[in-house]
Amino acid sequence: MQGNQYSVKVYETEISDEQKFMTFFDSNYALFQNHLIVIKGELSQRVETYLKEKSLKYIHNVDLPKGRIKTSIRKSLEADLESEKIQNLAKQKEADERLEAQKAENFLSQQIAEEKLAELSGRLENNLKVLDGRIRSGRELNIEGDLLLLNRVNSGATINTSGNLIATMDVEGAIRCNGNFMMLTASPKANIVFNGVVVDNTLLEDKLNRVELEDNKIKITPVLKKEINWA
Amino acid sequence: MGVVIAVISGKGGVGKTTTTANIGLGIAQNNKKCVVVDFDIGQRNLDMILGLENRVVYDMVQVMEGESNLKQALIKSKANKNLRFLAASQTKDKSILESSKIEKLIRALKREFDFVILDAPAGIESGYEHTIEFADAAIVVVNPEVSSIRDADRAIGILDSKSAKVKNGGEVEKYLIINRIVSDMVQSGEMLRSEDILDILDISLLGKIPEDRGIVDASNQGKPVILDKDSLAGQAYKRVCDRLCGEKVEMKDVENNDKGIFKKLTGMFK
Repeated sequence: MQGNQYSVKVYETEISDEQKFMTFFDSNYALFQNHLIVIKGELSQRVETYLKEKSLKYIHNVDLPKGRIKTSIRKSLEADLESEKIQNLAKQKEADERLEAQKAENFLSQQIAEEKLAELSGRLENNLKVLDGRIRSGRELNIEGDLLLLNRVNSGATINTSGNLIATMDVEGAIRCNGNFMMLTASPKANIVFNGVVVDNTLLEDKLNRVELEDNKIKITPVLKKEINWA
Repeated sequence: MGVVIAVISGKGGVGKTTTTANIGLGIAQNNKKCVVVDFDIGQRNLDMILGLENRVVYDMVQVMEGESNLKQALIKSKANKNLRFLAASQTKDKSILESSKIEKLIRALKREFDFVILDAPAGIESGYEHTIEFADAAIVVVNPEVSSIRDADRAIGILDSKSAKVKNGGEVEKYLIINRIVSDMVQSGEMLRSEDILDILDISLLGKIPEDRGIVDASNQGKPVILDKDSLAGQAYKRVCDRLCGEKVEMKDVENNDKGIFKKLTGMFK
């Protein structure tokens, strides 16, 4: 057996006012000329002739399969196969639904996570203080949150942060950081205390170093290695 | 209206007063009317370095308190007719200073002179704060050593927060003079290089003054070293003053000992 499968655009309507229906179709003819028109309820002679006149394809009072078409097709199959397959299908459907539900749940949790992250980064942004000018001797900064320093910290200056600290230039002053990490350049003259632990600054030998606390021990990892001068 | 320049350093003994005296005289030599004011109340030195100690009759505090008028208190320099000197009080202390009276005095001086040079006291207490309060610009004097740099850094920090010009939204221009440079010690790495100092302080360089044994004698004699045409420090101060008066003078590299071949040869046979 051979057959062709089509997807057809359908316009389904019920006629209450014939005149209104006809003027509607007159004005929207271009839109509906390739549609299958499904008339529900009464179909008068006048409308039928009108539709034929316009050469619109129409059917009257047909319950078209909408949504899941598969089940209706299965009905025509043999009984045994049918029941088995329907069962399978039901199972499949159930699994599908479960999967879908889980997906939705995952999506929701992901959305929540994203929202949380956004909230967190929003908080980070609000709390991240960026300082451009150099911190001169005698200045004491007390920062709630994270701090990004874009200039030098001169000898005799003190910086206290409750959050993380990133210094991009030389540090010669005192630093008291209570965050999760610090990023520091090689700072042989600095006086650094990280979460109450004194940092041996001779260990900060690379161009940029990350300082973290791991099992109550200071861990220093190089981020940017020393620049090598080949000359 | 003249410009008010405060000479500051934070640390004592780096050559503030010597610099003030030489800059004052150098500016006067450039045919500009200049007054140097000693703000070190209770510990005045500038009169001795300018050789005017026996001429002081009235001092700055007496002018501010209205006990004498300004004309009487301004002492004419022996070395240059364009230079005037206003002495600090030796018997009072700095607690006598009041912002409103200082402002009035400085306004009066600004009307009369092209340059008003204020010699700030060492330290960062009220005396220093009063000196910088109404300054348009500051000359920061440092020696090439870490303690001097740190103190100067602190002094600059206070200048940037407490001066009246900054409080009105302006900015006090800051110029750096590196004093007492010993070229051999810079070469051997014992002394800080000027690039390092500029990196820390981040202000524009006005001049480098080499260490000069003649300065002690010049101060004792009351004849600022700028009067000695052969002195290296005197020449360096001359270049600084020319720059202050708007001339373009090349920065001489006093950190490299530019001994001529003849001097090198004589050095070998010493």
